[in-house]
Amino acid sequence: MGRLILMFNKQVIKEYPFIEESVTIGRHEDNSIVIDNLAVSGYHARIDKAGSAYILTDLQSTNGTFVNDEKIVSHKLAHGDNIVIGKHVLLFVATQKGKGPEEKVTLDKTMLLDTLKQKELLAKQEIPPPAPRAPEKIGVVSFIDGSDLGEIELTKKLTKIGKADTSEIRLSGMLMGTTAATISRRPSGYVISFAGGMTKLKVNGKVVKESLPLHDFDTIELGSYRFQFYQKEKEVPGS
Amino acid sequence: MQLKTCGISDIGLQREGNEDSLLVDDSLGLYIVADGMGGHLAGEVASKVAVEMINKSYRKWLGSDTPEDELFGHPDRSLSRPGNYILSSIRLANRIIYEMAVEYDQYHGMGTTVTIVLVTPSLVVAANVGDSRIYMVRDGRLERLSRDHTIVSEQVEMGVMSKEEAASSPLKHILTRNLGSAETVDAEIFEIEPSDNDRLILCSDGLTDLVSDEEILEVTKKADDPENLCRKFVQMARSRGGHDNTTVVSVFLDDMGKRRGVPVKKAGMFLADFLVSVQKIKKKFGK
Repeated sequence: MGRLILMFNKQVIKEYPFIEESVTIGRHEDNSIVIDNLAVSGYHARIDKAGSAYILTDLQSTNGTFVNDEKIVSHKLAHGDNIVIGKHVLLFVATQKGKGPEEKVTLDKTMLLDTLKQKELLAKQEIPPPAPRAPEKIGVVSFIDGSDLGEIELTKKLTKIGKADTSEIRLSGMLMGTTAATISRRPSGYVISFAGGMTKLKVNGKVVKESLPLHDFDTIELGSYRFQFYQKEKEVPGS
Repeated sequence: MQLKTCGISDIGLQREGNEDSLLVDDSLGLYIVADGMGGHLAGEVASKVAVEMINKSYRKWLGSDTPEDELFGHPDRSLSRPGNYILSSIRLANRIIYEMAVEYDQYHGMGTTVTIVLVTPSLVVAANVGDSRIYMVRDGRLERLSRDHTIVSEQVEMGVMSKEEAASSPLKHILTRNLGSAETVDAEIFEIEPSDNDRLILCSDGLTDLVSDEEILEVTKKADDPENLCRKFVQMARSRGGHDNTTVVSVFLDDMGKRRGVPVKKAGMFLADFLVSVQKIKKKFGK
């Protein structure tokens, strides 16, 4: 268990026992700790309990969150830490309950943040999580060779291009490989790979024998087929 | 398709038990590393259950060629059928660990990470939950086929924290997802086309805490076989303190039938394709 002591100009204003799993600090009234001051963002910072540790996270506030005069993004709180938010100071007091000398927290061990709490909190705050992730994008190939294939969205994690009936993108041609090339979506983005057959794979005019990361508006050639790759925002049904 | 594989799990120098589990199943082409968490023996139980459940359910579904709609949870249409088997097997393992943790006091709070690689002649499926990783070395380059589910790496992805800050952050072991803590779980899953000479590595954070991506690339490039590679990694982690259990599975791919097909067979195929095409043209223009 810990406590937070809110201070302004070295005067104690209020004390908050740490009961909940998460505490938010900010100017808006639905925060657990409300600091009504313009230097404080609406939702300024958050403290989560993880195991027996307390973790302070700055919610991308305008003026930043400081601990012992250092600007932090996230920080594991220790007894006596001074959290500076605007002109206010929150003193973190760790209280041991009959557990003898300080219970050493081993953050070395892997543990789980209570994600449900985290999500609930974010939902309640109605603010996008810090630096909202770019909306999910989907790759598209657009044929520019006069064939009637038009635009094809890469809805699969692995798109096979070739002669086989099971290909997501079917291309014909005497020398076309059963699977001539594949485009896969990976942690780093879309990657095109040559797979086989006598038809050369070219990206921006250069022959690709293995794999190459794709960028917007790369031109891909497979025999007489020519198409461009780009990414567009995924359409969310109903919006 | 030829696979050379090895898996080693090492307790390290500072832990009393090994909470990691692994699977090397060459008959299925299925490889798993799981890193359990939770007091007493719960961590060990969680990682074992994950590995066994995923192995069993994948084998069962593959054996009976189960359609996607009969799997556990809604199928993901962006995945192949084997990809959906893997995804569903993760969901099922999660549910079982979750139920066990709720039901039994001694398992309360247990959980595990999991990374899975499935290799078939035409497809590699890579899936993960948590912070155990999958690396692929291809053409002398290292690529991660997994995504860490930690506060720190999510902050890196959002651009709030630099990679350097992340590596030294005291919070780097705090997961945002694992198997066992919630009724459902979202797994990260990728599918790629295999290629000759691909080298895949699955590992727990006992390795990645102490050995950098650059070192993993260098050591993997130089390795002559999977067993030596696993041993080398374990020895590196130990020589740097071995503060955690270290588990490494390595899979070397060869003869994936890409490019290196028997020349005669290739020529034959080409001729056959040619004849069919000629026939098509004849039909079109004949008469």
